[in-house]
Order: sequence, then structure tokens, then C-alpha cells
Amino acid sequence: MSFYYDELIMTIAVRVLPFFLAITAVAQSGPADGATRADWPHYGGTQLSWRYSALDQINANNVKQLAPAWIFQTGDYEQGLQSTPIVVDGVMYLSTSRGQVFALDAATGTLLWNYEYPLPKGRANAQNHGVAVAGGNVFVGTYDDYLVALDRKTGREEWKVAVNDSKQCGCAINGAPLIAKDKVIVGETGGDGALRGYLAAFDIKTGRLAWRFFTIPGPTEKGNETWKGDSWKFGGGAPWMTGSYDSSLNLVYWGTGNAASDLYAGDRDPGGKGEDGLNLYTASVIALDADTGKLRWYYQEVPKDVWDYDAAYESILIDREVGGKLRKLLVHVNKSGYAFTLDRATGEYIKAFPIVELHTWVKGITEDGKWVGRVEPEPGHPVDVCPSPVGGKSWNGNAYSPRTGFVYTPSLEICTKLIANRQEPREGNGFLGGNWILDMPTDRTDYSHIDAYDPLTGKRAWTYPYKNVVLASLLATAGDLVFTGDPEGFFFALDAKTGTKLWSFQTGAGHRGSAVTYSVNGKQYVATPTGWGSIAASMVRGLLHDSNRFRNGSALVVFALPEGAR
Amino acid sequence: MIRVLLVVSIVASAWAQSPAELLAQGEKVFNQSCATGYCHALKGGSGGGAPRLAARGFEEAYINGVTTRGVPGTAMPAFGTTLSRLELVSVIAYVGSLNGLTPSPITGQRGMPAGPSLSVEAAHGRELFYDATRSYGRCATCHEVSGVGIAVASPIGKVPADAAALRSLATPAVKTAVMNGESMPALVVSQGKSRTVLFDLTSAPAVQRSIEPGAVTIRDESSWKHSSAISAYSDTELNAILAFLRAAIKP
Repeated sequence: MSFYYDELIMTIAVRVLPFFLAITAVAQSGPADGATRADWPHYGGTQLSWRYSALDQINANNVKQLAPAWIFQTGDYEQGLQSTPIVVDGVMYLSTSRGQVFALDAATGTLLWNYEYPLPKGRANAQNHGVAVAGGNVFVGTYDDYLVALDRKTGREEWKVAVNDSKQCGCAINGAPLIAKDKVIVGETGGDGALRGYLAAFDIKTGRLAWRFFTIPGPTEKGNETWKGDSWKFGGGAPWMTGSYDSSLNLVYWGTGNAASDLYAGDRDPGGKGEDGLNLYTASVIALDADTGKLRWYYQEVPKDVWDYDAAYESILIDREVGGKLRKLLVHVNKSGYAFTLDRATGEYIKAFPIVELHTWVKGITEDGKWVGRVEPEPGHPVDVCPSPVGGKSWNGNAYSPRTGFVYTPSLEICTKLIANRQEPREGNGFLGGNWILDMPTDRTDYSHIDAYDPLTGKRAWTYPYKNVVLASLLATAGDLVFTGDPEGFFFALDAKTGTKLWSFQTGAGHRGSAVTYSVNGKQYVATPTGWGSIAASMVRGLLHDSNRFRNGSALVVFALPEGAR
Repeated sequence: MIRVLLVVSIVASAWAQSPAELLAQGEKVFNQSCATGYCHALKGGSGGGAPRLAARGFEEAYINGVTTRGVPGTAMPAFGTTLSRLELVSVIAYVGSLNGLTPSPITGQRGMPAGPSLSVEAAHGRELFYDATRSYGRCATCHEVSGVGIAVASPIGKVPADAAALRSLATPAVKTAVMNGESMPALVVSQGKSRTVLFDLTSAPAVQRSIEPGAVTIRDESSWKHSSAISAYSDTELNAILAFLRAAIKP
């Protein structure tokens, strides 16, 4: 008997294992799979941030039959519902803008537990975008800069750590945390104030600090010479969104915010060449070793930013053939209205293309990614440019479908007058270095559009114009659908191949969150947060056709096909 | 002397008003001085020639600065010289209210606390105490003074005499917690029936842990040393910090 087992183990070790390893190696060299399936485990779907599901039970042929399955009201309406729900093993984890957390039965909407974080006293920058789930825990960042770990089964607090003191830094953790192996990683807001941005990684089990990476190098570090005098101390660069993670390279990718003061660079520009690698690593995509937090590479999209053009948005990690060779790529949209396609192993520039029609802040970009003809505000010389500090796109997420090969983007056509003024930094306080006045372009009637782009050529395959602003994330599925919602309260589905609208439903409040899809016991659901709010929503209030009609709220509306539908 | 008293009493009377009265006064001033001509729209809305002011996320300090000093190079005048102090305070509070700020007699400033007037050394000590460039090595990682900082430790009562005393500070509150077979220096927050709450001081920042009482054992002694938490500072710097603490903390 024991001989038999020994022989069996030897056989596995000698004959089967190498074969299995060979298969694994082949699988790893194939294109990375960023699709979700039954679960929606991470903020961007998977850690590759595609916001794409392989589920196709709901598809372009039957989406017209989609009907509400259940609705959950959070009761916490402040700043609307800006969340991405996380779904793991049939349980949904949802957070409100003020960091109240709910666990729901994902098939029925039944409340399993809720966690009440103390509500802010008075005004707070409470714009929570979602939680993260790993192992036995749910993680949430708070408006007063704590990272909290909850027990996934009960919602009880297990550990809590002050990442910073919001009373001093004026910052908050609004982005959903990112899970990378045994670590939970958070960035923070505050880059329009006097602050030095950072990412911090904590051990999932103990809450102990693993590493902290400042997005602005200190005096003994390379890159500090791109700052004038002490300006690095309050230079912004807040990584206020959620990053992505590639386990094959063990790299964490994160976008950083604008340099501060936002509109006036005179006190942070050390002089010299002017436009090449200034104010590092603000308005950049950075790649960090997940274990150590050490910088592997960076790509600065907007050197010496003076337009509030953050690079904070998500990085979409895809593998595509470039010149006949499969390459690991990263697609990233900047607030300036340009999308960048980079090599994510090296940071090498491959392509940039505009996703807005109005991009008057710059004449163009060279083949190797250098800006030409930047229109910069200076004290006493305001400039009129597009896009505005709301962005050529806000933080709501793009989606990528491997079936069509398109990156889907929600773009905004809003312009601005920028007025630069010199300002002294005061730690944790506003540090705009001027002011802006938003302008709706007078020769248009549509102020946003949802588009499908080939990320290698920048060619637009289709466009879906919309009169107001699309500030909800996009969701793509293998049913060849793109879902999103509008501020008027309509949740709708477009044909992923053509952009034709196939279905819509009035949810009763404006959309500023991120829809997800998942399945329980073989049944596919599509869930969307509803409830208008957020900073961008306040900024455009009064400028749009119907903005007095956009409703606040805080509900999750979940759809499924009726029994017997095909 | 009379003029000084008058100014003080006007400012005091601004705060003596209820927040609702202050805002009503501010709206009146706004409508007369700001929502005029080609300038701001009523209630700070859009549509005026000047920028919308409502829901812009403005900080009080910013509103105060722009209202008082104006915006050079634009049509925004410096109201600090044309409005009375009471009018100025009320209109700043009104524009603040349009941005979700609540009027308060204490300005909602962020950053290091503005303490009493400090000596040069103590002012330097204050900067060191809250110094963000020292990351989690700064004092404020574990101590709250004048309302700023993270209150991991109990409020500082007695300020040590010098840097040496600060380094060798006795810390009887630090115990040893044993969880899952691992020992760690710990500050116990509470020991309830259902949860034991403590700070794990193994590394900075301290981690607040909530554990079932049966899963943790607390022992009195600990090898933890305050000197290990303040290694980011030199003796000179610690003496400056102590000068700040002596000025900021009333025994």
C-alpha cells in the first residue's frame, strides 16, 4: 500500500508535475485575463481594472427583457452613492460616501450586517468610492484618513490605523483600497491643497505598515531636483483613486494627482528646460514593486501641470499585439482629455490620443509623446482652454472588452477660464494658486459622449453623444453590452459593437457610481448604485440643460432577466 | 484705546450673533456688494459674470483671503478696505455656508495648531512635532496636542525636563499582549466583555486591534522603549519640541 503511494507520488513528481508546470508557463505567457465571472472581487472588476465580465446570460439579444430584481436603500444620502459594490461568494459589500458599510445577500438584497463609521461633524470630504475584500476581511478608507479592517462575516471592526491626520493634512481616503497579495494599499485626496502625496501599504492580517511611497521625492532622492526650493513639501501629487496590480510582474500601478499649487507653477518650477520631467512624480503613472513599494518606472503625462490635469484615474492592464509581438500594455486616461498607451513592464511610451473633441490647452503631441504648444495661465494673463478641471473625463471608470478590443470612455466637453495667482502654501489648506470659471462650449448641445476606441491606433469606432454629463462608470460584458447611467436617472445599455442604445430604466436618482455584474446560483445580475452627488456634480450644477432635475439618493438597484427569458 | 475696544466689540458681537443671524446678515451684504452688476449671481449661483461661488469646495481661509485682499488682475476687489469688520465676517461666513461650511467662532483651519505666541525655539519645536516629512517618525503619529495629532497615547501631562529624560521616559502603560502566539508591545484602550481594544506598538503607525477577550493575554511588563519611537530626532530637536510642549500644555 505504502509502496503504491510512494510510486504514485514519484510518478506525479517526475512525470506529471513538469507537464503541469509547462502548461502553467504557457498559460502565463498568454494574454492576461482581466474578466470577472461569478464574483466582482475588486474595484475595477479584477486587479487589471477592465470593468468587464465574461458573463453573457444577459446579452444584446435579450437585454430588453431586463427587470428589477431587488432594491436596497442605504439611508445615507450625503454626496449620493459613488460606490463600486464588491461581490464575493454571493455576498455584496457596499459603502456609502460617508463610509457606512453594508453586507447584502447578492441574490435577494437581504441585509446581513452593517457597519456604522462615526459620521463627520460638519463638513468633510466624504466621497467614498468603495471597499476592498480579501481573505476574511472587508477594508474601507475613511473621510478622516483611517483604514479600517472589518470581519467579513460579522462586520465587526478588527483593526484600524491612522494613515494620516486629516486635521493637519486636509486629506481623506476616498478611493477603494487595492489588494496586492498580502497587502492592502491606499492613496489619499488632498492634492489641491498643500500636501505631499503618498501611497501606504498595510499587512492584511495585522494592519502593520509594509511600506509608504511619497509621490514627491525628498531632498536625498532622485527627482527632488525637479522642484524649486521647498516646494516639494506641499507639491500635491495625491494618488486619490484606486490602482491596478499585475501579479506576473508583481507591480502595482497607480495614477498620481496634479502638482500644487494647481494653476501657478512659478514657485515649484526650478527653471531649466521647462517641459521635460518637471515636478516629479505628479500627474504621472507610477509602477511600484508590490513587496517593497520601490519605484520601478514612471511616466509623467503632464510635466509642470498648471491646468489641474490629474493622472489619478485607473490603469487598464491589457496584453495586445504591437508590431506582431504580444506586449503587456497599460491604458490610462488623463484629465487633459488624452489617453496614453504604455508598455507596463518598462513604462515605454507607445501611443497617445485624444478622447475629447475640444482639447485647446495644447496644439498636439509628437510621435514620441511630447506636448506641443501648451497654453499656460500666468498671473495677470488668464487663458480660456478645454477641457476644464472637471476633466476631459471625471474619475468614473472606463471599461475594456477583449471581444471587441475597444476601450470605452465617458468623455466631457467642458471648457474653462483659468486665472493663475501666486499663493503661499499653508499645510492642509486649499492651494489652487488661482481660480477657474467653467464654460460650457456655446457651439455644442451635447456636453459628453461615450466612445469606443482602439487603444493601439486611437481610432474611434463609435460615439454615443449625451446632452448632459456622464459621470457614472462604464461596465462592459461578454454579452456585448456597455452599461452606464446618466444624471437624469436613466440606467441604460449600449451595444458594445455599435453604440446603439438597446435598453434603459429610470432608477429615480442620478448616477455617479459604478455598475457591476455577477451571478448567484447560475443567475446573472446587474447592479447599479443610484444617487447624484460628488465634487464634480456640484461643479457642473447650474451649467447643464437639466441640472435642477438631477436627484440625490442612495440606493442600489439590481436587475436580472425574468424566469424563462432567453 | 476706544477704537481698539470698538473693533474688539464689533468682532465679538459678530460671534455673539447666532449662526442664523450671522448668515442672514452675510446674505444681505452679499446681495448688496457681491451679487451686483456683472459680478456674482444671487446665492452664489452660476450665470453671473463672475465665478459661481456655491458648492465649489472652498475653504474658509481661501474665502477670507479672496474677500479681504481681492484677486489682482481680475474684477474682484479687496473688500477688506471697504466693508466693516462685521460685514466682512458675515459675508465670509455666508459664502462659506454656500460651500457647506458651518460658521464657528474658531476658524476651521487645518495644519499645525496656531498656539500661543511661541519663542523661536518653541515654534521650531512645533514644526518638528508635526513634521510631515518625517513620515511616521513624527511625534504627532502617537500624540495629540492642541487638537492636532493622533491620540494613541494618553494626553501629555508632565513635560520631561530634557532630551535625555524624554528618551528614557518611563512608559508603565505599555504592556505586552500575546495573540496567536505572538508577543507585541501594546497600549490597552479598553477591556470589555465582548472585545478587548488595544494599540499594537510593534511598528509605527500604531494599529488599533479589536480582539475577543479570550484570544489575547495581557502581561504587565514590556521591553518597549520611548527612545525607539523618537529616533528620528536629534537631542537639539527634542529640546525644541519640549520647549513647544511647555508652551502648549497647561499643567
